[in-house]
Amino acid sequence: MTATATMGRARLLGGRLVIRNLWFTLLLGLVGFLVITPLFLLLLNSFDVGIPGKEAAYGLDAWIRGYETPGIERAIYNTFSLAITRSLIATVVGIFIAWLLARTDIPFKGGFEFLFWISYFLPALPVALGWILLLDPKFGLINEWLVSLPFIDEAPFDIYSYWGIIWVHLTATTIGIRVMLLTPAFRNLDAALEESSRIAGAGTMQTLVRIIVPIMMPPILIATILGLIRSLEAFEIELILGVPIGLDVFSTKIYEFVVNEPPDYSSAAALGSFFLVVLLILVGLQQYYLRGKEYTTVTGRGFSARPIPLGLWKWPAFALVLIIVLTVTAIPTGFVFVGTFMQLFGYFHIADPWTLDNWRQVLADPILIRSFWNTLKLGIGSALVGVLFCCLIAYVVVKTRYAGKELLDFLSWLPYSIPGILLGLALIWTFLLIHQVVPIYGTMLALIIAMALSRLPLGVQVIKAFLLQIGNELEESSRVCGGSWFYTFRRVLFPLLSPCLIVVGLLIFITAARDIGTVVLLATGKTRTLSLLMLDYTVGAELERATVVACMIVLMVVVGAVLARALGGQFSIRS
Amino acid sequence: MASVLSLQGVSKWFGDVKAVDRLSLEIEEGSVFTLLGPSGCGKTTTLRMIAGLEWPDEGEIVLKDRTIVSVERGIFVNPEKRNMGMVFQSYAIWPHMTVFKNVAYPLQLRRHSQREIREKVLRALELVGLAGFEDRPAPNLSGGQQQRVAIARALVYEPEVLLLDEPLSNLDAKLREQMRLDLKLLQLRLGITVVYVTHDQLEALSLSDEVVVMNHGQVEQYGSARELYDEASTPFVRDFVGKTVLLKGRLRTVEGTELEVALSDIPDAVFHCPNPGMSGLDVGQDVFLSVRPEDVEVGDDLDGRQGNLLQGVVETALYVGERSECQIRVGQQSILLYLPRHQVVRPQQAVSVHLPRQAVKLWPA
Repeated sequence: MTATATMGRARLLGGRLVIRNLWFTLLLGLVGFLVITPLFLLLLNSFDVGIPGKEAAYGLDAWIRGYETPGIERAIYNTFSLAITRSLIATVVGIFIAWLLARTDIPFKGGFEFLFWISYFLPALPVALGWILLLDPKFGLINEWLVSLPFIDEAPFDIYSYWGIIWVHLTATTIGIRVMLLTPAFRNLDAALEESSRIAGAGTMQTLVRIIVPIMMPPILIATILGLIRSLEAFEIELILGVPIGLDVFSTKIYEFVVNEPPDYSSAAALGSFFLVVLLILVGLQQYYLRGKEYTTVTGRGFSARPIPLGLWKWPAFALVLIIVLTVTAIPTGFVFVGTFMQLFGYFHIADPWTLDNWRQVLADPILIRSFWNTLKLGIGSALVGVLFCCLIAYVVVKTRYAGKELLDFLSWLPYSIPGILLGLALIWTFLLIHQVVPIYGTMLALIIAMALSRLPLGVQVIKAFLLQIGNELEESSRVCGGSWFYTFRRVLFPLLSPCLIVVGLLIFITAARDIGTVVLLATGKTRTLSLLMLDYTVGAELERATVVACMIVLMVVVGAVLARALGGQFSIRS
Repeated sequence: MASVLSLQGVSKWFGDVKAVDRLSLEIEEGSVFTLLGPSGCGKTTTLRMIAGLEWPDEGEIVLKDRTIVSVERGIFVNPEKRNMGMVFQSYAIWPHMTVFKNVAYPLQLRRHSQREIREKVLRALELVGLAGFEDRPAPNLSGGQQQRVAIARALVYEPEVLLLDEPLSNLDAKLREQMRLDLKLLQLRLGITVVYVTHDQLEALSLSDEVVVMNHGQVEQYGSARELYDEASTPFVRDFVGKTVLLKGRLRTVEGTELEVALSDIPDAVFHCPNPGMSGLDVGQDVFLSVRPEDVEVGDDLDGRQGNLLQGVVETALYVGERSECQIRVGQQSILLYLPRHQVVRPQQAVSVHLPRQAVKLWPA
């Protein structure tokens, strides 16, 4: 019976549907090529032991070399230790803040949520620069102030340390992402669950610990795994704060292999392959955990539950969240801004500490102007390319019965497990491979593709969630009353989808403006972006210039984040 | 009357499940034709194939004289080329447009002039009782109003056939009753052919000229509302359309047009009913005796009745306003019966139950 069915269908499909499927298959092929080839080449090249430019020869030398590098065990240990430690701290803090913002009558909650949103988007390097001004062991303002106290003799804090790195990460995005994902999830929790616990005789805190947190375990776990995956790919903070004191992580080791003379791409690939496997397992676990769970979209809209009165604790709680939110936003960025006016970064006690020269010099620098335009090109280009592909993929996955849609969905998820620096490394080989046919290596297009690819998982997720809310019947009713597929798309789907597409575009733009890891290995002198210029200045110890560039990047990112929020930016989390 | 829409041997598989199984239908011009059945019986899939939203795996669909689907000949007319109107279960009102724009959309597609569009839209809105609502944004409408907009949008371009997919199921009970009446009046006025899909037998019976009861993708029975209710031809139709009391028994004798049945559960209970000439019933066979609850009489003293009596005990009596719904235990079994609103019974009360012989039907067990 089934055989006849398939035959009947096949006959009918002859013609139009096959042509439509052909387009879908082309899309699948392109996405597949751009996602799978880099990973394959990464693995392949890790076994390449030939001399560069000569015939390739294969062996395990690079793996042995890579893993025999002095300090490599230490670097791997550091990577996990740093990521797990700050993930745990951030999750605990995040749960508490999310609960305060979503379920209690804490004042100014909308504003707080917005500021955490901003903090999630703040680029890491400017935050690190801000904290250097405050916590440097020699000239850090907080240290100086504490030493001036009678009973403290030496600087208590050192930003260039294990805990310094954790501190900067926590204040950059690690807490922000928890609050952003968990607050809406807490808000959607049925208030009756909480109220029945109160009626049964439990206090507010008892209810939080014994009822709310256990019930919210799925979203909490997801937010934690998500944060952990992102933590494992951290790069620039470790490069600035860890490498000077000999504290390496895997991403800085890969960077070292590539930028050393002569570069050792094979060992970098060997190291990267190992981390890729770890991340794939983590992402796999996350997906397995999410399998079959109901998909709920979490929006910024409020839930009508009556907030829990905090009573006497209201203002202390407010003060605490205020301090945290300022620590993750205004304090680091404010001090970066202060830093731009200093003769010598961090030295407040020299004869004439303040100057406008940094702004004057940097703004007159043709390199800066070029980097600025490059950033704009990269941001706008990757936003357009990214939105187009995310939209197409999400549409095929949600709205069609195309046979390969599951595979397409999976492929669009895969870049999620590839750290930026690995993606960049892997794309170098991919672009070299196709260089004869499509010469894009070394061009801006190469960076645009890399950025769009790295944001594919997020974009597809957001648009998919949105498309799921648009019932098929809205399209079908247009078809029945006479609209063709394209007319329906233009008049019905596109107007409904456009706010979501703009938000995705802005999110990609923001990521492109702040990104370092993905583009650092792909960019050339001609395609260098503001972020890379800032990194160069920082590594070259020209911190005054770095802060000026940092301010410009922060400004672009904040404007983008505010716009995205205003247009109803939403993140989905399956719970 | 001429058939306006005809389905011939139409099938549809979803994976290995055959949702619609070689279905053939003839739908007459100007009639209300209803597909009735439980969820998953293939009724909505059938409607969507008529609309062109699903591709059949076999069979043909002919609209007037035009073949719009033929799997064998590789014909498939896209939904937008079929000139049908459809009201969806969710109404599918486009939220980014006003009421006017929603209704004007199909006319814009057909390139009518601005003036003509305005005239037709206003007339359609008046027809569904929404005059003056044209500038409302669509999301600011209540469920009933959205449904009226959906009907206006489906009618405004005078389609050949109007397809309705459970259009009343999202309305509250009062509104549903009102809209059922309005729909019937509107259809009578316009004389349009309607294909109606519902799982609600009340809607099906009250609105339709012809009802098809579907199960497992196939036709169980078709006919007028009365035929289905009074003369169910399969056990499925008997149980799905209306409520039925079933009692197990054995056929004792057949005497001319008179059948005699002994109940299995209750010793000495003998029932008589007319022989409808149903074939395949033999003396000594196990049978089911069926009767509509509203045909059954319940009382303390029914001695005046000639036989067909049972003794029972009231278990529960739920007063629901227009009647009481009683569970009455007879023998091993508990049966649901409807009592007139003024008749008061109490739990544990012993009652007599009378099944009038004309109302009783026999089914092979």
